[in-house]
Amino acid sequence: MTSYFIRRFLLIVPTFIGVTILVFTLTRLVPGGPIERMMSEARLAGDETAASSYDSQGGSTLSDAQLEDLKAYYGFDKPVVVSYFEWLGKVLVLDLGRSTRYSDPVWDTITDRLPVSIFYGIWTLILTYGVCIPLGMYKAIRHKTAFDNVTSAVIFAGYAIPSYVVALLLLTIFAANLEWFPLGGFVGPDFDELSLIGKAGDLFIHAVLPLIAYTAGSFAFSTILMKNSLMDNLAAEYVRTAVAKGMDFKRAIFGHAFRNSLIPLATGFGNNISLILTGSFLIEKIFNIDGFGLLGFESLVERDYPVVMGILVLSSLLFLIGNILSDICVALVDPRVKFGSGETSQ
Amino acid sequence: MKTATTDSRLADSASGRSPQRPSRLREGFTINPQTVKQWRRFRSIKRGYYSAVALVVALILSAGAELLVNGRALIVSYDGELYFPTYGDIIPGNTFGRDYEYETDYRDLKALFKEQDRGNWVLMPPVPYGPLENDLIPGYFPPYAPSFESGHYLGTDQTGRDVLARLIYGFRIAFAFAFLLLLCNYLIGIAVGCAMGFWGGVFDLLFQRVIEIWNMVPSLYVIMIVTSIVIPNFWTLAVVMVIFGWTQMTWNMRTSTYKEKTREYVLAARALGASNTRQIGSHVIPNTISVIVSFIPFSIAGGIFLLTALDYLGFGLPPPTPSWGELLAQGQNHIVTAPWIILSVGISISIVLIMVNYIGEAVREAFDPKKHAYYQ
Repeated sequence: MTSYFIRRFLLIVPTFIGVTILVFTLTRLVPGGPIERMMSEARLAGDETAASSYDSQGGSTLSDAQLEDLKAYYGFDKPVVVSYFEWLGKVLVLDLGRSTRYSDPVWDTITDRLPVSIFYGIWTLILTYGVCIPLGMYKAIRHKTAFDNVTSAVIFAGYAIPSYVVALLLLTIFAANLEWFPLGGFVGPDFDELSLIGKAGDLFIHAVLPLIAYTAGSFAFSTILMKNSLMDNLAAEYVRTAVAKGMDFKRAIFGHAFRNSLIPLATGFGNNISLILTGSFLIEKIFNIDGFGLLGFESLVERDYPVVMGILVLSSLLFLIGNILSDICVALVDPRVKFGSGETSQ
Repeated sequence: MKTATTDSRLADSASGRSPQRPSRLREGFTINPQTVKQWRRFRSIKRGYYSAVALVVALILSAGAELLVNGRALIVSYDGELYFPTYGDIIPGNTFGRDYEYETDYRDLKALFKEQDRGNWVLMPPVPYGPLENDLIPGYFPPYAPSFESGHYLGTDQTGRDVLARLIYGFRIAFAFAFLLLLCNYLIGIAVGCAMGFWGGVFDLLFQRVIEIWNMVPSLYVIMIVTSIVIPNFWTLAVVMVIFGWTQMTWNMRTSTYKEKTREYVLAARALGASNTRQIGSHVIPNTISVIVSFIPFSIAGGIFLLTALDYLGFGLPPPTPSWGELLAQGQNHIVTAPWIILSVGISISIVLIMVNYIGEAVREAFDPKKHAYYQ
């Protein structure tokens, strides 16, 4: 096990370098960068219509001083290799540049928004796993019953319809039409004046619809995964043997099949870290929740490139950490995992 | 406690009607009995099969959408001559005795001919509005509510364009886009994935790392960054999406090639001296076809999701392209004043994606019938 972890951690280094190179390449796209310049030249040479729609889509154009800042931060005036390492050095000490919109450091701008996204992330996580594991198990045991079929139909719809369409439909029906819930926002405008219970209630009523939308997609996937893997395990010989030898059916499930059925779920567990921290900017935009995702969207619309690239760096690194976490989780629940020999099972 | 094991649905009863006999089309050409079996199995899964039929009909109809939903008339009979304005160049108004040289307003012309009653007539399509036409009522601000009288069956959007027309043309564009993405992603995926699985070694290792790195960047966000700098059209948007979308199929193909490669029949072919091309082309790929086919519906759904999400956020196809995502965004802005916009597009997307997923489920089941033993 120890050697597995050591080798897994060593593998982080090349992936980290690869990810940073890819992101660094993308930073060359920002205004003033070589790729942007190339594109605008091509655009001028080509059709003029594309150039005219350029401004209508984005927000303001950047001032010369802001362009100079961007050039200095990303080192457009230096050779590529030098500016890559300088940029990497800055990223490692969390210096992500300065936001052109708020003129605060990007790191502070981003961390300001994190609590909101973490709130939704954690609740989504609790709801998803808290409901889908028992539900998946129940569906597996009661396969082909009326309960199974009805829940399957609901879950299937939740899986097929993208979560942001679910969010929009919920918003139309329950917020705009029935007016049961507010149209968006993290808390109401008079939040500060409310009592503690009032605050909790306000938070709750604002959180209901976004949480349903968040859970709709991941929920379906996890439930079906849980159901199928439990059914596979129940059909496996070791469970049949255990039952044939007279073991209690409950113990056969919880003692044998359950742990093995968690393995497929564990492979995706680490990715929750990016869900917790970054949320989904589609849902945050729809419900106007001032989190990490909405920040990413707004800075793109406002052409606040330091923040855009900062968010890109952070979310890529979070994905990286999430992947490692998933591998660790799998190794913890599945003692069969061995590094490098897993080729045929992939 | 009973421990009866029962095969779940689609135990071969559905396909077991007739003995496995290759059905002959022509002398010397037979359909693979396996394919026949899979097709029968697919047909036996009713909701998937009917969804497929419905979607194919919808796609064929939308391919000829100009004949069904259009501001141009189907047939104009004027002074004993017939005109078919649907396809081809615009016909200026003065052709029909009007006093303008821009394109004829056929709805107007129809009313006029009726009034004149001189034997001239105009046949309009069932929905007499094009997706880009602004039909404004003087004195009232759009969006206008659905009405059978005006022919706006689902109302209009905020600039007076017919919602139904935009939905139907948007459907066509979304599917065309999803199919294009599918084709490109699968071509790259099959080529690279097969090569990775078949040759392994350094090439495999290299691409494994590349794919791992590729999967680390949030692709939707990166596509948005790129399209915020380069204004995309249909083709450039597809290229950007392929750049960030080829990894999944590549990975699937690598896995299945890897599995097939070690099977006896490939070893046998190699022992007989088959070349690499032959081993891959006539042995490995035909046997991974079930993997490829069963991913197609889900890739289509994914492509539609991506395009609609980008359009919704305003980083997709440039206006005034009819698009579902743009309608969703408009619908949200008018969520209280004009709920028909968001409801019609939201429900359409839901129905279409549920149907695509039904097809996907049925295809997967047909190619790989899972038989679960379970306790009762």
